[in-house]
Amino acid sequence: MHTGINDIQQLLEGEGYVADRSLSTALYLAIQLRKPLLIEGAAGVGKTEVAKVMARALEADLIRLQCYEGLDATTSLYEWNYQRQLLHIRLQESTDLPLEVKEREIFSEPFLLKRPLLQAITHPKAPVLLIDEVDRADEEWEAFLLEVLSDWQVTIPEIGTIAARHVPYVVLTSNRTRELGDALRRRCLYLWIDFPTYEKELAIVSRKVPGINSELAKQIAAFMQMVRRAKLEKIPGIAETLDWSAALIALHRDHLDRDAVEQTLGVLFKHREDADLLRTQWLDHVLQGLQTVENTNGPWSQDTIDRAADQVLPKVTGSRRP
Amino acid sequence: MKRFGDLTAHVVTFCRALRVRGLTIGPREAADALRALASIDVSDRRLCYLSLRTVLVTRHEDFPTFDAVFAEYWNPPAPEPARLQDAGADELPGDGEGERPKPSVMDWLDQALQAEGETPVAAYSPDEALTRKDFSAFTASELDEMSRLVVAIARRVATRLSRRTRAVQRSHHLDLRRTIRHSLRRGGEVLDLAYRRRKIQKTRVVLLADVSGSMDLYSRFLIQFIFALQHALGQIETFVFSTSLTRVTDAMSEADLRQALDEVAQRVPDWSGGTKIGHSVRSFLHLYGRSLLGSRTVAIIISDGWDTGEIDVLRDAMDELRRRVGRIIWLNPLLGGTGYEPICQGMRAALPYVDVFASAHNLDSLRQLEKHLAARAR
Repeated sequence: MHTGINDIQQLLEGEGYVADRSLSTALYLAIQLRKPLLIEGAAGVGKTEVAKVMARALEADLIRLQCYEGLDATTSLYEWNYQRQLLHIRLQESTDLPLEVKEREIFSEPFLLKRPLLQAITHPKAPVLLIDEVDRADEEWEAFLLEVLSDWQVTIPEIGTIAARHVPYVVLTSNRTRELGDALRRRCLYLWIDFPTYEKELAIVSRKVPGINSELAKQIAAFMQMVRRAKLEKIPGIAETLDWSAALIALHRDHLDRDAVEQTLGVLFKHREDADLLRTQWLDHVLQGLQTVENTNGPWSQDTIDRAADQVLPKVTGSRRP
Repeated sequence: MKRFGDLTAHVVTFCRALRVRGLTIGPREAADALRALASIDVSDRRLCYLSLRTVLVTRHEDFPTFDAVFAEYWNPPAPEPARLQDAGADELPGDGEGERPKPSVMDWLDQALQAEGETPVAAYSPDEALTRKDFSAFTASELDEMSRLVVAIARRVATRLSRRTRAVQRSHHLDLRRTIRHSLRRGGEVLDLAYRRRKIQKTRVVLLADVSGSMDLYSRFLIQFIFALQHALGQIETFVFSTSLTRVTDAMSEADLRQALDEVAQRVPDWSGGTKIGHSVRSFLHLYGRSLLGSRTVAIIISDGWDTGEIDVLRDAMDELRRRVGRIIWLNPLLGGTGYEPICQGMRAALPYVDVFASAHNLDSLRQLEKHLAARAR
């Protein structure tokens, strides 16, 4: 029975996604229980990627709904194609069809613009529906979404009720800019994705950055572990790590030194304050930390890196909120 | 997992244990937990743990609680009920018995009234105290004026403050659906445009008032303020805190101020005690957050920011509050004093999370607050 989970793990790995067990378990249960999966975590830890990989693994289509403030039913569910309706009315002008017939005609399915939610419901094969950054949408829309997620049917006054042919696999992501309502949370399974451990990040870098040597990959992964201890506006995620690795390779760097890091800081930090903080207060310590790890015998691991970091890095007060 | 024999019963009790510790878990979650366990290999402890967590926990903050309960429940070496109870009591506001006897609020009010004029006012200069009367020296007409102001402020607060207002200012959203429907009758000629308008949203107000010792001078005014505010606004929830938090919404809804005060005195265990703002805000979030908070909620905190608790707790609590309400207004009576800087640690920690930081020590400051609220539609 639980081979299912291993299958999923392998599928994910096959798709180039380094998955830990909590992730594969959550995906397995989402598929098994057919419940939406809510994924939370800091920006850049690969939340959106999960849905994409899930779609590929299930060989299902991915339908994506990007949320934003002001998103409403007409942009997420359906809208009438008004231009086409007007045109049609014009064409019918000379006919003697009664008003009701004309009306029924222009409010029928050919005149319907399907937005992502309706697309997902009417899709011929159960798709993966990605509702991205749901925390950005308004509470009103959240309530509306909850309704769709509970009933899997949509009522269009002019047409009637459209029930889902297949219940889609739903993945919701949130960056926690706004706390989601309890009702929505309880409707979903929950997965928290943290910043990766050294081991996981090393695996990702090795796999995703072509042509990287293992020494540089180790240094990069260890560097990231230490940098994430700083109190930053925006803590760099995996996306940044990968961009940074690619930048270093493009500059033909094969190991990390002060020069290489300073040259590429802009790739890693999206806020000037963060880059400044790192350059002025952290860089020396982090490089020293890397040296400490280098000098310890044995393989690099989260443990050795944490120990080195505790020794040499500046102490940060207050809790960091991912 | 030795307890496999009667899995259903155990899952149900496990769910109950989680619920006791504050997680929202109902029958549906319990049923999902069973379905989840039915589809995995239950002899794999880690897998059980991950599955149950995926199904039963809905927010990251609850992971530690879940871990603790899971460890206690599914692998019970020697249960520690004593420790558990301690932690539980710690979370519950209002039931830790204060060591000193409860002062009657009415008695205290009387005392404060007699001491009127003699009490040095900590935060502002003597000059200012002369020109701008402290709340302790109200005349009847001033009290009327205050009630009027409070009502005006309450109205400001009650009007929806966010983008909804802006949407209305832009005023017209074309309703194409209805426009086209109408045009059908005219052979497709669009003569009348139909519009949609956004509904006006009601704001909910949550008031957290500091009644600790350092706020003594202002507390009497605060009671009146809270009382007036609550009567002016329908949707308001009122809490008072010093070292712990007490809900006084019901007590304050008594028609008569005197009765309301008696009622409050019955309930608040440590009036004029020390202050643990962070702790109080945290227990507020924990106990009432789910039902009361949302982006349409305005949280008003009235406190001088002297926190004797841990600053980190305050910072984290404010951070969470910030994410869960539309707006935080902090009224600090000390702010009225000339040259007051929010230097006390608590105030400094809380300030980054506050949208409106205003004083509330006399009528003038209330008037300014009203203007302030009017100008700031976020």
